[in-house]
Amino acid sequence: MALSDVAEGIDQDEREAVLSRGGRERGAGRWPFWTRVYAQGDPLPDLSCKISRPDHSFDEGDELPDDYKALLMKMLRHEGERAGNKSFLGLMGTCIEVAETLAPNAEARLIKSEYLAEELKHAIMFHRIAVRLDPDFALRDVPYAHYAFHLPRETWVDDAFFHFLVDLNGAFHARDWRESSYVPLRKISRTVERDEFGHSEMGYYFLNAVCSERRGRALAQALLPKWYSAALDMFGRSDSPNTPKFIQWGLKGVGNSEIRTAYKEYADRKLAALGLDVPDERLGRRFL
Amino acid sequence: MSTIIEEIRAAYEPFGVAVEGVATYGTYYRLRCARCGAALGCIGDRLLPGMARELVDGEFDLYAAGLAGCACGHQAERARVIDAARAASAGQRFA
Repeated sequence: MALSDVAEGIDQDEREAVLSRGGRERGAGRWPFWTRVYAQGDPLPDLSCKISRPDHSFDEGDELPDDYKALLMKMLRHEGERAGNKSFLGLMGTCIEVAETLAPNAEARLIKSEYLAEELKHAIMFHRIAVRLDPDFALRDVPYAHYAFHLPRETWVDDAFFHFLVDLNGAFHARDWRESSYVPLRKISRTVERDEFGHSEMGYYFLNAVCSERRGRALAQALLPKWYSAALDMFGRSDSPNTPKFIQWGLKGVGNSEIRTAYKEYADRKLAALGLDVPDERLGRRFL
Repeated sequence: MSTIIEEIRAAYEPFGVAVEGVATYGTYYRLRCARCGAALGCIGDRLLPGMARELVDGEFDLYAAGLAGCACGHQAERARVIDAARAASAGQRFA
């Protein structure tokens, strides 16, 4: 599709500005955000399992133990990005709306359109995994249960934090799937990880622009506690009784506390680089 | 989810923000300026009980300073009606 088609609906002045900037490249020349970072090495910490456990491996079509399948389906319900999950498509609809309503310019909207395209690619990938596990589940509407996906997004900064922090959570989980005992998940893990990392970098790119100006940084500082506490909560309770089962079956490499700590260290460095004060990690938390 | 949606509507009402019916499938709702009808953003209905009020009240200063809310100024005006002193202080803080 030509850029001129993509740009339908953008004001004529904005469209001409994008075209004159040489915006024929994807996402106004910035997409995908992950390439430059991964070219310098693996940006995410090692999340491989450090404890002794059975060496399970299950591929598509294998008979799955009941406990294993229950945990795998639970994981896929939380992940949510499935073409048959109408609530996921609804979330994507809000992303279009937010971009239309709050994005500062046409370049930002073009970047967000690349984000949407990539998330819909994930919806196809996870749909194919889901449909081979359970066709009924593949078509089931499963709204995101975690409140982080439902926080109000009323400013462009809200949306930028949503991507920087919530998509980063997705990147960390996908990083954890590199050694998953479920082969189809292992196969897509690197693609999903780098894409989600790129979505986080997209949010960071927007935050960087906002924080380069004093009033914008003040707004980001005011909104940070709301998103930071939700992001840390997304990893679940540190004492979750299911975690040892996930690890023993090879569906996760590390526990909730460990992955949250690694995530926090990474996110804190990035936030500090924006000139933001990192909130107390217990402030506003619901799931410790 | 109707209880949570009622909580969300009640939390936004004092600030002149209307919570429309379902914006996208099932779980997400559009926020609009109650005066001019401009779209302001979105919210989902899986917030925890009590969270909506806390979130909206937490953005009082941003509405008052015009950093959140409609370009028509309705939410900033509402914030001044709710607490003029706090709104003035927020305006100075974010000037």
